[in-house]
Amino acid sequence: MFEPLDKLLTNPIRLMVMSVLVKVSGCDFNYLKKITNSTQGNLSIQLKKLAENEYISITKSFENNYPKTKCNITKKGILAFENHFKNLKTYQNLDL
Amino acid sequence: MNHSEQLNLINDAINKTKEQLKPTSVNFIFWGILITLMSLIHYLFPEFIQKTTYSSLIFWTIIPVIGMVLTIVYNIKTGIRMGYETHIGRALKLVWSVFNVAWIVLIIMAFFKKQNPVQDILFLLGVILLISALLIRFKPLIIGGICVIACSVLITLSPHINTLLINAIAAFVGLFVPGLSLYLSKKHV
Repeated sequence: MFEPLDKLLTNPIRLMVMSVLVKVSGCDFNYLKKITNSTQGNLSIQLKKLAENEYISITKSFENNYPKTKCNITKKGILAFENHFKNLKTYQNLDL
Repeated sequence: MNHSEQLNLINDAINKTKEQLKPTSVNFIFWGILITLMSLIHYLFPEFIQKTTYSSLIFWTIIPVIGMVLTIVYNIKTGIRMGYETHIGRALKLVWSVFNVAWIVLIIMAFFKKQNPVQDILFLLGVILLISALLIRFKPLIIGGICVIACSVLITLSPHINTLLINAIAAFVGLFVPGLSLYLSKKHV
C-alpha cells in the first residue's frame, strides 16, 4: 500500500524551504528568498501556507529598525518532510 | 515535478545550506595568536605582569574578556550575513560559550586558591577542541586537541616545567595551526 505524497510539499518553493529548514536551527527570510530564487510576495504566500499547516513557525522582529522574519521547522514539519522524502524514495525505486 | 526532480531539489537545497567553516577558523586563529602572545609577554616580562597581587589576574581576565566580546560581535555579524544557523554551528556556539564562562571561573578560582590554572584550562580546552573537531570532522583539530591535553598532562607530570611556555605552545599547536589549516581548506559540513 503506497502512501500518497504530501500535496503541500510538492510545490518546489515549499519543498526547498522545508529542505533548508530541516538542516538549520533557524533561517531568515532573505536567505530563503535567495535560495528559492523567488519573489518576496510568492515566498510570503508559500511560507504562510506552511505556517498555517504548522510545518514551520515564523517569528517577526526588528533589527536596526528593519523588520526581520525568521523561520524554524516544527516537529510536525520534520515528520511530514521525513515521510515525504521516504515516499519519494519508494516511488523512485519503483520507477513510478 | 516528478519524483526524481523533487529529490534533486531537496539535495540541491541541503547542499547549498552548509556550515561555513571559514568564520570558525578565524576564531581559532585569533585565539591562537592572542593566547600565544599573552603567554610569551607574561614569560618575557614577569616583573611587569606580576607587579601587584592583582595585575596578573587583571592581565589574564581583562584581555580574554575583550577578546570574547570581539569574537561574539564577529560571530553575530557573520551569522547575520549568512542568514541561517546550522545545527552543527549552534552546537559549536553553545560548547564554546560554556568554555568561555568556565575559563573565567577557573582563573578566578585559581587566584583565590593561589594555584596555577594553566593545566586545568588546557585540559578543558583540549576536551572542547576534541568535541569541536569531532563535530566538524576535521583531523588537524583532533590532533590539536590531543596535543593540548598532552600539554596539560606534561604540566602535571613535570612540576618544574615553565607553564607559560607550555601554554604558548599549546595555544599555537592546538588553536593557531588547526585554525590556519581549516582556513586554507575548502571544507564545509
